[in-house]
Amino acid sequence: MLRWKFVAAAASLGLLTATPALAQDVLKLGAPLALTGPLADAGAKSKQGYEMCVSAVNEKGGVNVGDKKYKLELVEYDYQSDTNRAVQIVQRLINVDKVPFLLAPYGSGDTKATAVVAERYGVPMMAAAAATKSIFDQNLNNLFGILFPNRMITDAEVAYYKKNIPELKTVAVLALNNLFPKAIAAELVETAKDAGLDVVYNSIYSPDTTDFSNVLTQIKALNPDWIYVTGYTQDLIIIRKQMADLGIEVKLLTMTAGPAYPEFKDNVKALAENVTTNSWWHQNANYTDAFLFGSSQKYNDAFNARFKRDATYLEAAATVSCETLVMAIEEAKSLAAADVRKVLRSKTFDTFYGPVRFGASGQNDINAALVMQIQDDKLIVLAPENLKQSTLRIGVPPKK
Amino acid sequence: MLAQYVVNGLLMGGLYACLAVGFALVWGVLNIVNMLHGSMVVLGAYFCLVGVQQLGLPLYAVAPAVCIVLFAFGYVIQRGLLNRVITQPILITLTLTFGLELIVNNVILNVFSATPRSLAVNLGTLDVWGMRIPMVRIVGMLVAVFLTLLLYWLLRHSKMGRAIIAVRMDRHAAALMGIRIPQIYALTFGIGALMAGAAGCAMALIYPVTPMMSGVFLGKAFVICVLGGLGSVPGAIIGGLVLGLVEGLGTLTLGPQWATSVGFILMMAVIIVFPSGIAGKKGYE
Repeated sequence: MLRWKFVAAAASLGLLTATPALAQDVLKLGAPLALTGPLADAGAKSKQGYEMCVSAVNEKGGVNVGDKKYKLELVEYDYQSDTNRAVQIVQRLINVDKVPFLLAPYGSGDTKATAVVAERYGVPMMAAAAATKSIFDQNLNNLFGILFPNRMITDAEVAYYKKNIPELKTVAVLALNNLFPKAIAAELVETAKDAGLDVVYNSIYSPDTTDFSNVLTQIKALNPDWIYVTGYTQDLIIIRKQMADLGIEVKLLTMTAGPAYPEFKDNVKALAENVTTNSWWHQNANYTDAFLFGSSQKYNDAFNARFKRDATYLEAAATVSCETLVMAIEEAKSLAAADVRKVLRSKTFDTFYGPVRFGASGQNDINAALVMQIQDDKLIVLAPENLKQSTLRIGVPPKK
Repeated sequence: MLAQYVVNGLLMGGLYACLAVGFALVWGVLNIVNMLHGSMVVLGAYFCLVGVQQLGLPLYAVAPAVCIVLFAFGYVIQRGLLNRVITQPILITLTLTFGLELIVNNVILNVFSATPRSLAVNLGTLDVWGMRIPMVRIVGMLVAVFLTLLLYWLLRHSKMGRAIIAVRMDRHAAALMGIRIPQIYALTFGIGALMAGAAGCAMALIYPVTPMMSGVFLGKAFVICVLGGLGSVPGAIIGGLVLGLVEGLGTLTLGPQWATSVGFILMMAVIIVFPSGIAGKKGYE
C-alpha cells in the first residue's frame, strides 16, 4: 500500500514539474482600454483591433524570440475613459503585471498622459490612436505612434479640394474642445490660410453640448463654401441633422472622423450623401503584408468574418501597432526594451496598414493620407490618385 | 435672425422640461436626488429604438408601452429598495441611486454597446417668417410639454395626485389621513420613471443615443430643477425653457465653448439670489 502511495506521489510530482516545461512562455502586452465612459465605442474598436493581432500571431505559433516561442497575451483593464485612471492602470501594468511592452490608451490626450509614465519606467509604448504632433514633440524615447501627423491629412485635404473646386474661397471651422479635434482644426485653419482660403468662422464647442442649432445659425449667416467640423461621432450626427433642419447648403462639408465609421451613415441615412472625410487607412489601399494577414483586403475580410462589419482605420491601427511591435521583437531576437526600441527606430515595417516608419519623434512619418466621400451610401476614396475610386461630388445636400 | 435663436432655444427648452419633470417630482415628494434619472432616460430611449427598429412597431404604439415599462421599473425600484432607506439622511438615498445608476448604465452598455443609435425620422420643416423650425423638434417639444402639463393637471385634480401633493406637504399628516405612504412613494417614483421614459423616446427622435448620455441628461435635469424650483412641476417647465434660451443665447454671445457652462453659472446665481428657484416654494431648497 505504502509502495502504491509512493508511486502516485512520484507521478504527481513528475506531472507538476513537467507542466511548466510543456506550457508555452507568455509575452504580455499591457492595454489600458476605454471600455466604459464617453470613449467606450472607440475603446471597443481598439480592443477588437488588438484581438485581431493577438489571435493572428498566436495562430502563426506565437512570437519568435531567438530560438524560443512566446504566446502573445493581452493584459487589459478598463480605464473608464478617465485619464487619471489610465495613468494608474499603466503604473499597475508595469509594476504589478510586469508587462514588458504597452499599447497606449485611446486618443491623443490619454496617450500623452500615459506616455510620460511609460517613459519613466523605460517601457516601449505603441500608440494606435494618437496623431497630434505635440505628443511626439516631447522627445520621448519609448513612444511609437502609428498615425502619421494631422498636418499630412489637412495638407492632402486642402490641396485636393482647392484643385477640384477652384471657386472654393471661404471655410468655417468648428471643433470639439479636446486635444485631437482642436489640433487637427488648428492645422486645417493654418493649411487653409496658406492656400489662400478665408477662414470666416473658427470656434470650439464644449463636450456635452446637446444643441448646435444656434452655432449653425451663425455659420449659415456667413454663407461659407466649406464647413469643416471635427468631434465625437455622436456630435457630428447631431450637427449633420441640425444642418438639414436649418436648411444649410454648402459646396463642401467635411467631418472628422465620424463618416469613416458605419454608425454615421446608419444614423443620418440620406443626409450622409456627399459628406467628405479623411482617413489614415482604408482596405481599398490594399497594401501587402508578408508578416500577418497578407494584405489590407485580406485583413478586412478576416475582420469582417470575426466582427461582422468592415474595419475602420481605428481597428487597423490598433492591430498594426501590435504587429509592428511583434515584428520588432522578432527582428531584435530579444525582449529587452533597448533592443526592441533600436529596431523600432531604424526599420521601415511593411504592413497591411501601409509602410510604417517611426521617425525621429517616434511618430510614423510616411504620408498615406486618404481623402474620402460618402457616395451612394458607400465610403469612397477620392485621393491619392493611385487609390482613387471616384471623383468629388460637390454640394451638400446633393443638387437634384 | 434673433427670432431664430429664440425659437431654437425654446424648442430645446421644451425637451429639457420633459427631461427634468420626473426628476423634480421625485426630489420634491420623496426628497431623493435621483442619480438614476439619466440612465432611465437612456433606457427609455433604447427601448424605443428596439421597439421601432427591431420589432418594427410604430412609434406611437411603442412610446406608451415604454412609459408603462419604465413606470413598472421605477415602482419596483422604489418599493423594493428605496422605501427601505427613505427615512435615512438624503446622502444614503443619493448613494443608493448612484449605485443603481452605475449598475443600470453598465447593463445598458453591455446589452446595447456604446455605438450611437437614433431614430432617423424626418418630418420636414416649418418655414415661418424666415425661420426654419424642424417638425420633429416641434413634435418632440409638444409631446414633452403636453405630458408635463398633464402630470401637473393630474397632480392637482386626481385623487392619487392630491395624495402625492399631500405627502409632499406633510408626510405625517398625510399618513394620519389614511394615505398609504410607501404606496405613494412607489407611485411617485414610478411616475418619475415614466416621464424619463417619455423623455427618452423624445430624445431618440432627435439625438443619437449612447449609454454615456445619462450623465449629460442628469446634469441638465439638476440645473433645470434648481433654476425652476426644487420639486415644482411648473418650475421644471420654466427651468427647462430658461436653460434652453440661456444656452442658446450664450452660444451666440460668448461662443459655443461656453454653451454648457452658462447654465451652471446661471444655476449658481439663482441659488444665491432665489434659493427656492424661480417657481419653487420655500422649504424645498
